[in-house]
Amino acid sequence: MMDSTNQHTVRAYGDELNQITADVARMGGLAEAQIADAIESVSRRDAELAQQVIARDARLDELQREIERKAIRLIALRQPVATDLRRTVAAMKIATDLERTGDLARSVAKRGLSLSDLEPLAPLTRSIERMGKLVAKRMKAVLDAYVTSEIAGALDVWSHDDDVDEHYNALFRELLTYMMADPRTITSCAHLLFMAKNLERIGDHATNIAEMIHYEITGDELDTARPRQGADDTPVSEKEPS
Amino acid sequence: MPETSLGHRASSRWKAALAAFRNWSPEAVSPPVLPLVDAEAGDFRAALESLPDPVLIVEGGAVGNLSARRILFANAAARGLLKVEGRGEPLVAALRDPQALDAVDAAIYGEIAGETTYEPAGAQDRFWRISVTPLTAAGLGRKMAVVRFRDETDSQRIERMRADFLANASHELKTPLASLQGFIETLKGHARDDERARDRFLDIMAAQTARMSRLIADLLALSRIELSEHISPAGRADVARATTDVMDALAPLLAEHDSRVELVERPTDATVVGDRDQIIQVIQNLTENAVRYSGRGSRVGIHILGDLSLAEAQAPSRSDSARLALLTPDREGGVRYVLIRVVDQGEGLARENLPRLTERFYRVEGQKSGASPGTGLGLSIVKHIVNRHRGGLIVESQKGHGTTFSVYFPVTERRGVTEPG
Repeated sequence: MMDSTNQHTVRAYGDELNQITADVARMGGLAEAQIADAIESVSRRDAELAQQVIARDARLDELQREIERKAIRLIALRQPVATDLRRTVAAMKIATDLERTGDLARSVAKRGLSLSDLEPLAPLTRSIERMGKLVAKRMKAVLDAYVTSEIAGALDVWSHDDDVDEHYNALFRELLTYMMADPRTITSCAHLLFMAKNLERIGDHATNIAEMIHYEITGDELDTARPRQGADDTPVSEKEPS
Repeated sequence: MPETSLGHRASSRWKAALAAFRNWSPEAVSPPVLPLVDAEAGDFRAALESLPDPVLIVEGGAVGNLSARRILFANAAARGLLKVEGRGEPLVAALRDPQALDAVDAAIYGEIAGETTYEPAGAQDRFWRISVTPLTAAGLGRKMAVVRFRDETDSQRIERMRADFLANASHELKTPLASLQGFIETLKGHARDDERARDRFLDIMAAQTARMSRLIADLLALSRIELSEHISPAGRADVARATTDVMDALAPLLAEHDSRVELVERPTDATVVGDRDQIIQVIQNLTENAVRYSGRGSRVGIHILGDLSLAEAQAPSRSDSARLALLTPDREGGVRYVLIRVVDQGEGLARENLPRLTERFYRVEGQKSGASPGTGLGLSIVKHIVNRHRGGLIVESQKGHGTTFSVYFPVTERRGVTEPG
């Protein structure tokens, strides 16, 4: 009798943990869809899609609170240790990163809305689209690593974040050239610049998630100084023009 | 009637099997196998298994518990697409798309069939249509759904290719056509009797029309490659042989530019999975660019490195340069690569030009490419061919120090569909 209650407790506990992980995966899927739709709304100048992205963001906030509630409840009632504790904490932190990602995607969609009233700047929009796809791919890769608990996948995302920076810096220069050549494009370019910044930050959240996965599985923190080729972290504006 | 009794026998087997499922807990070592194999009812499982479309059978649990939606069965195509085994994993581990999850919930809990689209972000753009149908085993109290994926990548691509082709062709042909028209009018008018001007104009017109036909040829090639981009090539090709072929073919261009191309190093085995003609096209476009943008009397070096891991293939080859991966394949464990590196001694590219290099018709401002400029599609074609081969493309460059393009191709077929365990 005693045995079966005990087993029941263990199963319910494992179940609760699995539920939290599943909720994080679902939230990840939602964040991915938000990024993809935000980018599409910009490249297609689709105001309706942009509105949908903005409206759907509330769902991400709600899911994040739900995951946090479940995680805190689990910590309070079950007092998990070692792997289980790390899994719980990682889920909570990843949910926060995903919620922030959602906010950034919403902001991209909002700026897309403002852009759809202005003259289109096709080459710059293509650059944004390219950067967006890159960031979406990173987010997918890191979430795949999360659901499969695959450390190699997380490390791969973590060590390749300089591509996003490279795209951001190039876009920054491109925007400057446009704005200097034709001041009438300044409004559009300013929106595009903030979009690029938002996408870059989504990329950073993917890197954070990769770090959390590594922590969840190994218990060790990744070195905060990521390997970078070219050691180029200075904003373009502070560099000598080449 | 025999049909009835047969149906009855089959359904009692189902009942027993599904009861086993009901009692199965996730902690059990392995889940019971859904007995789609039934002597009387026919080999349903094998039939599903052999379908070319990915198919999943998903079971629901408590509505609020997402981790209870489990994949009871995944056929070979589904295991390949979603990287699952189909032995009771949570559905979200394989499929996170919010619309797909909603459709599954509607089928399981509302018994409503539905359709949605699924476009996973990856190196190859894929477009799937998902249909979800409730699967009700009457009286068993188990809620299940069948999820079927239909590949609609082809029709999506054809649609987009048509639009792109029309837009590109009309835009790019407008300028040379207008200039031809101008020359024709001049020739009909006051240049009619000026022999020198007439010869000069006809030469320009010949060059213009040659460029236009190159442009059309390249656009058609690009469209064809894009259409098959999601279908991996099947043959094998020797990269080193392809390189020497390209070097022979480029002899006239090299003579014109007074340049040299050297195969600096090659491995003993440089065979990759690939379409020989397309691999030649990649090497040719890269080498041709290197020669064109390097100025007269320059030297282009080609390095071929064999048997590299993905990390080794992606490692930088120069320390002081800007570097950008223009194409990165989806990660796949254990794949080895052959890498081809084309190193030129040209002016080099500014860092901010790198991301747009593979864009159609993109030209770096102020860059001179000699008397017969390319179509602006060369690198775009390279990128799409390499993507079809599940390879990667990296550029490294620095102003004043030349440019290095590296492409890598997988040596072995991409990991196929896992066998049912």
